Amino acid sequence: MVRKKSMGDWIFNICNVLILLLMVVVTVYPFVNSAAISFNDANDTTRGGITFYPRVPTLRNYELIFKNPKIYNAYYITIMRTVVGTVTALLFTSMLAFGMAHSSLKGRRFYTILCLIPMYFGGGLIPFYFLIRSLGLMNTFWVYIIPGLVGIFNMIIMRTYFQGIPIAMEESARIDGANYLTVFWKIILPVSSPIIATIALFIGVGQWNAWFDAAMFVTKQPLKPMQTVLLSIISEARFAEAMAATSAGGRVDMGNIGKGIKVNVRSITMATMLVTIIPIIMTYPFLQRYFVKGIMIGSLKG
Amino acid sequence: MTEQIMSRKPGAPLKRNHLQEFIGQMDLQILVIPSIIHIIIFAYIPMYGILMAFQEFQLGDFPGLSEWVGFKHFGLLFNAPDFTRVLRNTVVISALKLVINFPIPIIFAILLNEIQGKRFKRSVQTISYLPHFISWVVGATLLFDFFAVDNGAVNSALVGLGFIERPIHFFGEGKLFWGMLVGTDLWKEVGWNSIIYIAAITSIDAEMYEAAEIDGAGRFAKMWHITVATIRPTIVLLFIFTVGGLLNANFDQIMLLTNQMQNAQLRSYADVIDTYVYRVGIRDTRFSYAAAAGLFKSIINFGLLLGANKVAAKFGEEAF
Repeated sequence: MVRKKSMGDWIFNICNVLILLLMVVVTVYPFVNSAAISFNDANDTTRGGITFYPRVPTLRNYELIFKNPKIYNAYYITIMRTVVGTVTALLFTSMLAFGMAHSSLKGRRFYTILCLIPMYFGGGLIPFYFLIRSLGLMNTFWVYIIPGLVGIFNMIIMRTYFQGIPIAMEESARIDGANYLTVFWKIILPVSSPIIATIALFIGVGQWNAWFDAAMFVTKQPLKPMQTVLLSIISEARFAEAMAATSAGGRVDMGNIGKGIKVNVRSITMATMLVTIIPIIMTYPFLQRYFVKGIMIGSLKG
Repeated sequence: MTEQIMSRKPGAPLKRNHLQEFIGQMDLQILVIPSIIHIIIFAYIPMYGILMAFQEFQLGDFPGLSEWVGFKHFGLLFNAPDFTRVLRNTVVISALKLVINFPIPIIFAILLNEIQGKRFKRSVQTISYLPHFISWVVGATLLFDFFAVDNGAVNSALVGLGFIERPIHFFGEGKLFWGMLVGTDLWKEVGWNSIIYIAAITSIDAEMYEAAEIDGAGRFAKMWHITVATIRPTIVLLFIFTVGGLLNANFDQIMLLTNQMQNAQLRSYADVIDTYVYRVGIRDTRFSYAAAAGLFKSIINFGLLLGANKVAAKFGEEAF
């Protein structure tokens, strides 16, 4: 039974679509505009007016940033921290979650309280800073990995999932003489792929996007991830100019000045930014349903 | 909670003491213990480290063994003029975000529900999540450009339409900064924060709407009496959680939108407790003083969380 649409309905529908379209445009436009600038000739960009597409298309901005060895190094660090960080954190967190899912676990009450208190109260930044210092993690790659090995909130989500797995699966393996390690590895993990994918994505995006640990604990340039390189570019234009200059090489630049081709800080920034988010943008359409699933599990059952 | 599923009857109740039982399930314990040790190191040692807020910590001291000074740093803190401003900023920014950025995802979810076309609906939803997945470093890069003084999209549009005569330095003026924080946070999180509401609305039976229609309910009546009424428990729950996490949400955003606090003009409007701790503690190396400020925040946070959980329990939904 569909009621005939009234005038008011039409007006409402049109307004509604317009509001949502406006929101989509505001959300997407900065991305599109940056992409357009990064593919546009740097000199031309300074004239302004670049909106949805490049006016004078060029790949030069990308050529410039890819000539800089810093980018490769930072990219390597970012990939490494994402892969290593995700795998190890997933392992530690799921092991804890598996144990905590058993009410037969000795000391479970104690462990639970131990896990809950940090969710309410923490030592804060300064004591944490000195902990990292005294553990000797300053200026090491491991400062990206070790502090994040166990995520308590993720553990709770995983525990809830494990508790929903029929006990019979575990029981039969136990009767056959398998120990808990085998059960965890061979039986529980294989049937938990949805939750593992979800948590892995949360951790992975967190690692890819992390910048503060690098700002706080790492001063060695070779250990800096992509986010830091981008950050240096936006916070100091000189860094961007230097990057463009060193990568182009003095001789080339001299020649270019004569032709009026110079590198625009804005173009370099946008190209670097795009290189930083490309993996997320590319995988995002495929992965977003896992995120949605994850937040649902976390919020409804957590 | 479905804890019972994994629980097993304690078999033949052999009389064994706790230690034997513990050793007997060593294969299970070995899965748990590494993570527990990790939590003790990375969550509990910093709690011990809070002692330095009551001491005169110097570089090279063993944490917790420095000279005791009691509440000296707290006294200094509450008398410092910049800390008064920091408190004001913390409260105002958190309150603004609560009042403005909490309801808008709800409105977004309701509006989206009123859309008939499935494809359009899904596309809007997918696009709206996107900014959530980029870091604030990238977000700041995009937004600086979007609001840039020369050829930024917003300024070009405003000047072009004749609303303003000369471009506004959106990220350079303290007075505008609170608004920029609220707006950019909305830009990044509105879609993501609406997910739970959208899911709750999806579960509403279409017959409810039809029945209401037969009873002569208009569009807004249906939205209010069915959609909003159904998701009200979700709203209450999320409101409580939002209050509980209120003070934690600002650090990345503020640090990056102020170029890591280098803009002194912005600082008087942008500095919140978290950024203050970082600035004073790590940059100016006043460790004990900064630790005191951090502890002050932890205590307020603890109070907020505890209160939030209490209220949540009243509504029949405990957090954990």
